[in-house]
Amino acid sequence: MVRLVVNDLEIEAEDGISVLEACLNNGIYIPNLCFINGMSSPPVSCRMCFVEIEGEARPVSSCAVKATDGMKVRTDTEQVRGLQRTAFQLLMSVHDVDCGRCPANKRCPLQRIAVFLKVPLRPGRLEKHLKNPDVDNVHPLIDYYPNRCMLCGKCIFVCREKHGQPRMTFAKRGFETVISFYGEKDLSGPACKECLACIDICPVRAIVTKDQAVE
Amino acid sequence: MNPANRPEMTQRFEAIYNEAVARKKALNESSQPMIYIGMATCGLAAGALETRQSFEQTLLEEDLAAIIRPVGCIGHCYAEPVVIIDHPSSGFPPLFYQQVTPGKAKMLVKSFLAGGDPLFEHVLGAMKANDMVPQVTDFPRFSQEERIVMGKCGLIDPEDIYDYIAEGGYLSLIKALTLSQDEIIKEIKNSGLRGRGGAGFLTGRKWGLAKDAQGLKKFVICNADEGDPGAYMDRTILESNPHQVLEGMAICAYAVGATEAIAYVRSEYPIAVKRVVTAISQAEELGLFGEGAQGFFDIKFSVFKGSGAFVCGEETALIQSLEGNRGMPRHRPPYPVQKGLNGHPTVINNVKTLASVPAIINKGAQWYRDIGARQSPGTAIFSVVGSVVHPGLVEIPMGVTLETLIFDICGGIPNKKGFKAVQIGGPSGGCLPADFLATPIDFDSLSGAGAMMGSGGMVVMDEDTCMVNVARYFVDFTQKESCGKCTFCRIGTRHLLDILDRITKGEGREGDLEQLESLALAIKAGSLCGLGKTAPNPILTSLRYFRDEYEAHIMEKRCPAGMCRKLTAYYIDLDRCARGCDACVGSCPVEAIFTTKNRKKGIDQSLCVKCGECMAACPQQYDAVRKVSPPDKAPVIERPVEE
Amino acid sequence: MNYSASEEEAGLPDKIALERDVAARLKGFDNHRRNLIPILQDIQDHFLYLAPEAILMVAEHIGIGASEVYGVATFYNQFRFHPPGRHPIKVCLGTACHVRGGDIILENFERKLGISDGETTTDREFSIERVACVGCCALAPVAVVDENIQGHMAPSKVEGIVLGYKIERDRIDRERENEPGEPA
Repeated sequence: MVRLVVNDLEIEAEDGISVLEACLNNGIYIPNLCFINGMSSPPVSCRMCFVEIEGEARPVSSCAVKATDGMKVRTDTEQVRGLQRTAFQLLMSVHDVDCGRCPANKRCPLQRIAVFLKVPLRPGRLEKHLKNPDVDNVHPLIDYYPNRCMLCGKCIFVCREKHGQPRMTFAKRGFETVISFYGEKDLSGPACKECLACIDICPVRAIVTKDQAVE
Repeated sequence: MNPANRPEMTQRFEAIYNEAVARKKALNESSQPMIYIGMATCGLAAGALETRQSFEQTLLEEDLAAIIRPVGCIGHCYAEPVVIIDHPSSGFPPLFYQQVTPGKAKMLVKSFLAGGDPLFEHVLGAMKANDMVPQVTDFPRFSQEERIVMGKCGLIDPEDIYDYIAEGGYLSLIKALTLSQDEIIKEIKNSGLRGRGGAGFLTGRKWGLAKDAQGLKKFVICNADEGDPGAYMDRTILESNPHQVLEGMAICAYAVGATEAIAYVRSEYPIAVKRVVTAISQAEELGLFGEGAQGFFDIKFSVFKGSGAFVCGEETALIQSLEGNRGMPRHRPPYPVQKGLNGHPTVINNVKTLASVPAIINKGAQWYRDIGARQSPGTAIFSVVGSVVHPGLVEIPMGVTLETLIFDICGGIPNKKGFKAVQIGGPSGGCLPADFLATPIDFDSLSGAGAMMGSGGMVVMDEDTCMVNVARYFVDFTQKESCGKCTFCRIGTRHLLDILDRITKGEGREGDLEQLESLALAIKAGSLCGLGKTAPNPILTSLRYFRDEYEAHIMEKRCPAGMCRKLTAYYIDLDRCARGCDACVGSCPVEAIFTTKNRKKGIDQSLCVKCGECMAACPQQYDAVRKVSPPDKAPVIERPVEE
Repeated sequence: MNYSASEEEAGLPDKIALERDVAARLKGFDNHRRNLIPILQDIQDHFLYLAPEAILMVAEHIGIGASEVYGVATFYNQFRFHPPGRHPIKVCLGTACHVRGGDIILENFERKLGISDGETTTDREFSIERVACVGCCALAPVAVVDENIQGHMAPSKVEGIVLGYKIERDRIDRERENEPGEPA
């Protein structure tokens, strides 16, 4: 066990876990989207879980830093909140906000983060960019909604964990990046049908079975 | 390296060295003239192949003998195709000729080789001291250079290992192999060599960390994934003298205990790839490199072709692509020197860093330290392009000022235009205005000014270059090259581009600059890797130094430099236009130019694409084409109704 | 003599021929993941693009999902998924070319050929691609047609280049028509 101080509160954490996990385990919420408990090398890609740690010049990603004894952490500084709000606005600028028709409504982490950061589900002054077409239905069982997806990569992670080789991938690059099931239509094996782990893990319901696309 | 083998190794190398010297001597003693032709990519682009054919054919026609030696690039791009003719029996020293077209080649054979007249009007200078022809080193473009990395570029045959060895090549490796690993690392540390890939990390420290790292296996990677769209020195070095880089890699591998060395070269550089592959196999054939006991020490060399992703210049992304993955960077730490390729300790150094190593080992740390600036010893190589009289690659000691480099060495701005800014460091760097011309070129001074040594790309801009447009260009580039992994870079750079797009089209709004600035700072702070963290630099520096230009675009819908096409218009000054002259008509790619009733010319603004061809085509004595911004300043000239 | 059929074959081998050729090329590589990019490069060097069949075969060879191969291939600028034109035109938009009007050169090619960046003409003669720096900055602006680097480009040169290829094509066509002997 290590003991660290978060927002002036002393907490205990298991050896070797990240600052993010330590905080979440102790009921201190830090917005995060791409981290899964127990991940050995997290992607550090959503850029939400910033904290300030004494001795570090700049905010750091709490999922990528191990909790150590005597560490002094702040999760709520102005700079941290500033970065989180900007990251959230950026995500909103590519997110199709249609909560009423979205199966993730009311259990969506984006809604939770909006409430937590006290920001609307809007991109502020930023222009909205939605992908067209808004659904990829090439997979025999699964539909993918790129304008819901925030590319956390959890689906690929669990697919790899379950099957060794993921059956899905990030495809294209940069702003055009999407999740792709390329080639899956030719593989009508039972693996996907029996697993559906990617659907269970998708926090924003960007990946759904064909029959539950809209609620 | 087994110490017992050292005497045997030295002996073996001595035999190779003697062979190289003998070959060179035989060549030098041959009575035939030697024609050296620069055949790197830029030389070939300028027509070196045709020049070579012309030499060969004319020699045949004239029944003359001469040895044609293809060499690499000397870095003087303005002079391509470059030819050096060494014709000892003529009594002249070796002469440097510039812009040798096939026609000039023919003339040179007939006049010089056959007739003894070296055609002085085409000579840039002599390569050796003499009392007939001024030396090239009398010109500032040559005299102020200090060539450590590029010393042999353009002078030796890059596809002949003996040429390199005869010039002292691989002696440093042999010397290094007689030292201990720690001695080499100490020497590199003491030299103060800093990584030439951009960030300027101390090379000796990196090597020390890799040597101390635990691993069953270690790798050395030469990063030649030169991605800055305005820098090409890594390519030139690999095309012109690949062995010097391989020698640096071998020394590094020995020092850190690596058994595999990989040259990661962009596939867009096919000639560089080919020459590195050739160089490796030549070194293996001579027994310099090889697995197990085949070489002087256990080292396996290979080449990996980068597939075109700017982000792969970033160490962790480069490793991802070597492993067969999408080149998406990882969080650091762990650093590659701890956990790199396949989880093994890996040193990744830039081409120029590695190419500096042999000279340091050969001449010592103190010699290197005495060159350049205190905190940035050694030389810097810049590809100086854009609006300069003598563009090309320049290797200068660190500490030379921007002014000396741009005005004294590269000849200043052509066409009587004024200097406006210099962009240093490509997409990660920044634009510096005239106030900064006195800045010495070294890692810390450039960072302090808001630019960056980066890749060594340097684009000089004259008064006709719009800083907003240039910022937009770089953001467009990084936006397209973003790997897409992290939120700030993936989405943030797109919004930067959106805003700049609007501004350059005259659709800027109040508040745009504030938003640009705050978003840029957030992307800098929030991005995962170096690409994202530095992507806003071109915006931040231009906002700092050229804010008024942004404001002119937004408030007055005016592009002061006249570069943003939506904000400019061309028109023909009817007072100057010559009746009956048609020079501009044929130059227009979209047939936007019409004849007025009194047989002068007008431009149909609805068709004009603002390419400026008519302005270039208009005969100088009329000089009738004008460019204005905002576009509504152009007088309306009606197209006559056709009868 | 029928040239066009054999030419078609060289440019677009049918599926079986393609699969046979890809299989032969795959034999040169062991099935390690680190060979993925070199394999894709080798296939593209030979076939000029990555056909869907080739992607599936590469996936099988390495023992990973087709989506993995697709994900990697779509990440890198180098890989194409459609056959390029017989005369690929690459317009350099490096920094030096940009400040000297490289985008105007690109637009001129696009206008002249009636296609956009990344597309191929319907007769498959030309394709246009924007590239980031071919490393000939001192010759800016630069375009590369086939493998020939055209330095100091100007909008007015675009027409000449395209026309040059069209004239060459017409000449070849004419010679074929005039060729005595076997009917076409």
